[in-house]
Formats: sequence, structure tokens, C-alpha cells
Amino acid sequence: MHLVSVMRRCVWAVLLWPNLLTSSVPLDCRQEQGGVSRCSSISQEKLLDRVIQHAELIYRVSEESCSLYEETFIPLPLQFQRNQAGYSCRTLPIPSSRSEVQQISDKWLLHSVLMLVQSWLEPLVYLQTSLDRYDAAPEVIINKTKWVSEKLISLEQGVVVLIKEMLDEGLLNLNHSEEALFQYDVQPEMVESVMKDYTLLSCFKKDAHKMEAFLKLLKCRQTEIYNCS
Amino acid sequence: MAALSSNLLLLLLMSSLDWLSTPGNGFFMARHDVTSPAPPEPHITECISRDQATFQCWWSPGNFHNLSSPGALRLFYINSLASEWKECPKYVHPNRECFFDNNHTSIWIPYCMQLRGQNNVTYYNEEDCFRVENIVRPDPPVSLNWTLLNISPSGLNYDVMVNWEAPPSADVKTGWMRIEYEIQYRAGNTTKWDALEMQRQTQQTIFGLHVGKEYEVHIRCRMRSFVRFGEFSDPIFIQVISSKGSTFPLTLVLVFGITGVLILVMLIVSSQQRRLMMILLPPVPAPKIKGIDPELLKWHTIIHRRGPDKFQLENKGKLDDLNFSSTGGGLGGPPTYATDFYQDELWVEFIEVDAEDAGTGEKEDNQGSDTQRLLDVPQPISHHMNIGFSNAVSFPDSDSGRASCYDPDVPDQDTLMATLLPGQPEDGEVKTSPAPERLLIRTQTAGPQTWFNTDFYAQVSNVMPTGGVVLSPGQQLRIQESTSGTEEEPQQGKEHKGSEDSEEEKEKEEQFQLLVVDPEGGRQAAESNTPQMFAPPSSPIPGEGYQTILPQPAETEPAATAEDGQSPYILPDSPQSQVFARVADYTVVQELNSQHSLLLNPPPRQSPPACRPQHPLKALPSMPVGYITPDLLGSLSP
Repeated sequence: MHLVSVMRRCVWAVLLWPNLLTSSVPLDCRQEQGGVSRCSSISQEKLLDRVIQHAELIYRVSEESCSLYEETFIPLPLQFQRNQAGYSCRTLPIPSSRSEVQQISDKWLLHSVLMLVQSWLEPLVYLQTSLDRYDAAPEVIINKTKWVSEKLISLEQGVVVLIKEMLDEGLLNLNHSEEALFQYDVQPEMVESVMKDYTLLSCFKKDAHKMEAFLKLLKCRQTEIYNCS
Repeated sequence: MAALSSNLLLLLLMSSLDWLSTPGNGFFMARHDVTSPAPPEPHITECISRDQATFQCWWSPGNFHNLSSPGALRLFYINSLASEWKECPKYVHPNRECFFDNNHTSIWIPYCMQLRGQNNVTYYNEEDCFRVENIVRPDPPVSLNWTLLNISPSGLNYDVMVNWEAPPSADVKTGWMRIEYEIQYRAGNTTKWDALEMQRQTQQTIFGLHVGKEYEVHIRCRMRSFVRFGEFSDPIFIQVISSKGSTFPLTLVLVFGITGVLILVMLIVSSQQRRLMMILLPPVPAPKIKGIDPELLKWHTIIHRRGPDKFQLENKGKLDDLNFSSTGGGLGGPPTYATDFYQDELWVEFIEVDAEDAGTGEKEDNQGSDTQRLLDVPQPISHHMNIGFSNAVSFPDSDSGRASCYDPDVPDQDTLMATLLPGQPEDGEVKTSPAPERLLIRTQTAGPQTWFNTDFYAQVSNVMPTGGVVLSPGQQLRIQESTSGTEEEPQQGKEHKGSEDSEEEKEKEEQFQLLVVDPEGGRQAAESNTPQMFAPPSSPIPGEGYQTILPQPAETEPAATAEDGQSPYILPDSPQSQVFARVADYTVVQELNSQHSLLLNPPPRQSPPACRPQHPLKALPSMPVGYITPDLLGSLSP
């Protein structure tokens, strides 16, 4: 009897051996995705899950703040959600059709995501300063924008770690382009400022959706359960 | 580079599109937000994507029926990746539809649509621009069915679990699209659908359905955090039929039980009706406090004459409590001070001094206590009753402070006196500057019975046979003796008098008489035209320090008649010869008897009180009740 039970336990240990490695999550990385060096022990799968969660959350919050901003400041005829006329969002050289997305490699997917994330770091800061200039901007919008800005930074860090883990590339230099896309000292007129901020919020919402879609596609490819074509 | 520049150009083009225009007829606005009539020209009806990877657009020729044939209208599109307008990749002509497949669909970039007819006629609406993710309407979920969860113990309600599957066209497995679902259900015969909360799972519980009813359920879905729903799925029907046996006895038992209880309660109530009524509706006790009968509050004053110069006032009411007998200290009466005045005034007005008594004691009364002393009675006063006083000093001014404190330079005496008396001088006959000498007192009396008083109180030194009462100046004599200089001033002041006043005062200066008017005659006296009397200094009449107050007529003209004789109530003869002894400065009417006689106490000989710097008139309010003069009463008459 004793021998049987010991044998059983050994079998269990052998079988569950890989799980011990994959499911171990050190305390450091439980909260935050940041800290590239400290979170090397988190599993790739979990990191990707967490990154995807971040992206989903960022998209949801950006959508809420965009709707709120639209309700508060934009009159009905000018609302973009209803009139999807083209407005100038900064387009990056990344694939934008599903077929293209399906065709590009994981590396390109991740880099696209990183590019997207990095392209929005500065505009969000500008958006925050612009919102602060308002007389009666709702607290909610300001808080959400601030939250999104913070989460985007950690998303960037997560994606960098992912790139390092998945693509075995060296640690990317996280220096961003020095050129300032926005002028912070010039205060535009109120109407112009409102439309500019609205455009920023809408475009960011769109790009957050894009990030989320890319990351989900990446996950799908990673699991290889479904035919992610 | 060229591509980049063209892209930038296109970007500019796109951004320059007039997205600030008012809502137009683009399919985006028209279909979903603004119900506008279909435009007459060819237009895009709708563009829809089902899977966020492809999309279709439909158009309509509008009223241009010549363009309805296939191929007459062509669809062109442009997006930020294309440098020029491109034609539809795949036409579905029977449907007037253009289908964009995977290769031609780019997400997250704006598309614009355009229709072109023959000869490159372009029908373009700026509103027909969109991003593909925003036009996604997922297909309805499939495989909708339900299972019974449980039935309530009463057997009347039940819960149902509804489950379904995501539409196959939407790629939720890979996470390309995130979808949420909405279930709506309704009872078979109603028209209004009940919607449940958005659900991200592919199952939902519906609670509280009724047994026996048939329910219809359908479902639709949309992309999470987006606005547009897809179409509804085909409905399914839910119905649970109850087993009758379980509910029947329960209802019977309930019905019978309630009926029995009701019958029992009715029996109890009918048998114990009286007791129950006592318990539930106790009788209200009758009030035990007897209020005050208003009849009892009525009272009147009776003046009893006790003697030649004794009067007793008696207040009689229904209640003995209210019957104050007058003793030293003033007249009793109703508790209110003002009412005192009313009552006393009335009585004082109607005080009739008995002629017999007056006559008998005339001579003797000149000197002292037998004289009926009456307070100055208010005369029936007309509008302007000028009663001049020769001298403020010459007043038989029993006012405690004023005589001795006479200050010829005090300017306000007459005005103050005027304020004391009822009404205010209107004609300005009150002279302020010569005030010390002449105090014209003008009053408007509301009451005809107001006796005008030259002073707060005066001493009756004699009673005329006709009923007039002569007031003695008392204090006045003394002061006149002491200050001869003051006599001059009255004389001067006399000059300053008004014309009308001066006449009379010259005529009447030596005649001072207090008229006591009968109650009956009081009113008449009011209208009588009695002149005013002024009391000049008594220099022409030595020792004649008395004043006579004549009842003033209602007319304003003081100079009407110099002769007092016109008044039936006026002027006993030869007042001048009557030098009346000094009497006390003031006296107190203690009582009134039934014969309208005043009973006065012998006035105490008292030196005038210390000279008070303040005007004596100001001290008026603090005078005790007993010293209220009739004119004050008159001032208080309504």
C-alpha cells in the first residue's frame, strides 16, 4: 500500500512537472507588467494574457471617455460616431485589413502594436494638458484620460517584454522620438481646441481597438487551437 | 516617396472633407439617427459589415428611374490607402449591391462612397464616409433554445435558461470580434418586448415566467462597446403547463379558511357590539371649563355724589370682580388703561355739578375744600379750539413740574401741549416762539365731548350757579408774584399771537371759566361757537390767576364770538370779581357719584416738585391714573 501511494505521488509529480514551471508567478509580477528585468519569471502566456487584458481595458475606457466627451462638448451634427466622415488620424504604416493582418508575422504584429502604443504616448499627455485648460471639464474624463495614459505606459513595457520573450530580440531601447508632435505653449481657441481633442479621443479609440485586435490575433496564433486565418 | 506624398495628399483630401456640414442624407445619418426623406438623386442606401472583414454597400437610383437599369450607376470608393477613386470590386446587380471582400477591406481607415452615372455625372454625398469597424452589424446568434430550471413552490412561476451560439460569421473564437448579446421576450398576447441586460456569455436565465402563458423570445447582438445591433434572430416559444392537481386544493383551502375567519370575526363583532364600540370609540368627555360669558364683561361706571364736593365713582358690571370702587388712587375700571380713559372721559364729560350745591357753597367754596373741584373736563371741541393761556405761568397748572420750572424760553410748550391734546394743530396757530406766554392749544377732537384742557389738571375753585366750574390757578398766583418780569413776556407774547387769537384774548383775558357741560348738552357744546379764551397774565386782574376753559366749538374759527354768552353753557357772570383763593395745584377726582358729581380729595398743599429740566409734557406718560385730565381722555377718545 505504501509503495503504491508513493508511486502514485511520483507519477503525479512527473506529470505535473511542466505546470510547476509555467504556473509559477512571482509576487513581483503579479500586479504590474512593468519592470522588465524583474518580471522575467512570468510565463509568456500569462504575460500575453495580461497584455491583452490591458489593451481591452484601455479600449473600453477610451471608448467611454470619448462618448462622454462627445456628449458633453460636441453638438449633434458634429459627432463623429454618427457621421463617420474621414477625419485626420495619424496613420502608421501598419496593416489595417484583416487579410493583411492575417498574413503578417508575429514579429510584425508585435512591432505594430508597439508602434501604435508609442505613437500615442505623447498625444495623450498633450490631451491631458489640454483638458486641464478647460473650465468645466468633467472630472470623469480627466481621470479616465489620466488612467489611460498610465496604463498605456505599462502596456508598452509589457509589449517590450513580450517582444523580448517571444521574438528573442534584445531589449528595445525605449527612447521615443524627440520631435514634439504638439505645441504645448500655444493655446488654441476654445472651439478649435475642443475639436482637436475630440479628434484625438476618437482616433485613440480606434487605435486602441486596433491594438486589441492585433494582440488577440497574436494570442490566437500562440494557442494554435483555432485556425486563425 | 511618391506614394507617401500621394497618401498625404489623400489625407489632406480626406481631412478637408466637410465633416462640419449639417446632417445630410448620407446613409449613415439617414438610416440610424435622422429620419430624413430619401433624396431624389441616386444615393447610397446602406453599408454594412457582418464580420469586420468584409462589407457591402447598397444604393438606390432615387427618382432617376432612367438610371435604375443595371450598370447605369457605378459605385466608386476611396480610402486613405488609395490614391484615387476605385470602382466597386464586385457588383451584385440584382440587389444593387457592391461587395467588398477581405482584400479590399481595410479596418480602421475611413472609406468614402460615390455613385457615378453616365458621362461621369457624380452623385456624391460627403456623409457617406465611414470606418469599417463602425458599420459592423453582426448576424443574429444561432441555435437559440431553452431549458426549464425550476418551478416555484406555488406552481405558478418558473425560471428558464436560454442559450445560443455566436453567429458563425463573427470571429469570436480568435477574438477578432467581441460580441455582446441582448435577449428580449414577451408574453404571447402583448406587443411590448422586455429586454434583459446585455450578456457576454452565450446563455441567460429568464426569471419569473408564469405557468400557462406562452412566451416569445428572440435575441440580437452587437460588437462590444459599439452602437449598432444586428438583426433579431427567429423567435422561439416557451410555455410550461401546470399540473392542475397541485394548485387546486391549495386555493380551495385558502378560500374556505378566509371565509371562515371572516364569519367568525363578524359573529364576534355582532355579539359584542357595545363593548367593542366602547373600546374602539370611547366617548369624548364634555368640556369642563366654563368660559367667560361676554355678557359679564360689560360694565359701567356710576358716579355717586356723596356730598357737595364728594363724588363717588362706581364701576358696575355683571361680575362683582369688575366692580372696582374708587378710592384714592384713581378710578377703577376695566383693566386696560386706555379703556379707563374712555370710561372716565365719558363720565367726566357728563359730570353735572349740582347747582344747588354749587350755589350754596359758592362763597365758601371759593376758598377751599368745599369747592367742587373737578378736573378739567374736556370740552366738545371742534376742529380748532384755541384756548389760550395768558401765561404758561398763569396756568392753573397743577402739573407738578411745569409751573415752577417755567422757562420763558422754552419754545416747545405749546407744541407739546398740542401733542398732548387730541389732534394736532393744523393751522399753525400754535405759536412756538411766544409759547411761554401763550399756549395755544388746538385740538381736533374726534369726539364731540372732548373737553379741552389747558393743563393736565386744574383745581376747581368755585362752581358757578349755572353749573360752570371755575378753575383756580393755584400755583400760578405764586409764580406771578415772584416773577413780575414774566408778566411782561406774556404781554409781548400776546402781541405775537395770531390775529384771531389776539382778539379773543383781549376780550377774554379776564374771563376764565370752566364750563361744565351737561351730558346732554355736551354735544351741543361741541358745536357751539364759543370763543377761545386766553389767559393773559393776571396783571390786570390781580389775584386772578385762574383760568377758564370754555368749551370750544366745532368750528375752527376761534374768533367767531368773543362773547361767551352765546354759548348757553358759558360764562357765569363776572368772573373777574371773583377772586378765588388759591387752591391746590392739582387734585384728584376720587369718585363720581350717581349725580354726576365728582368727589375730590382735598388737594395736599405741596410745593411744586423740583424743577425738572425735561419738559413736563414728557412726563405725561408716567402720570398716575388718577391724574388724567379730561383732555387727555379726550385725546384718547376714538
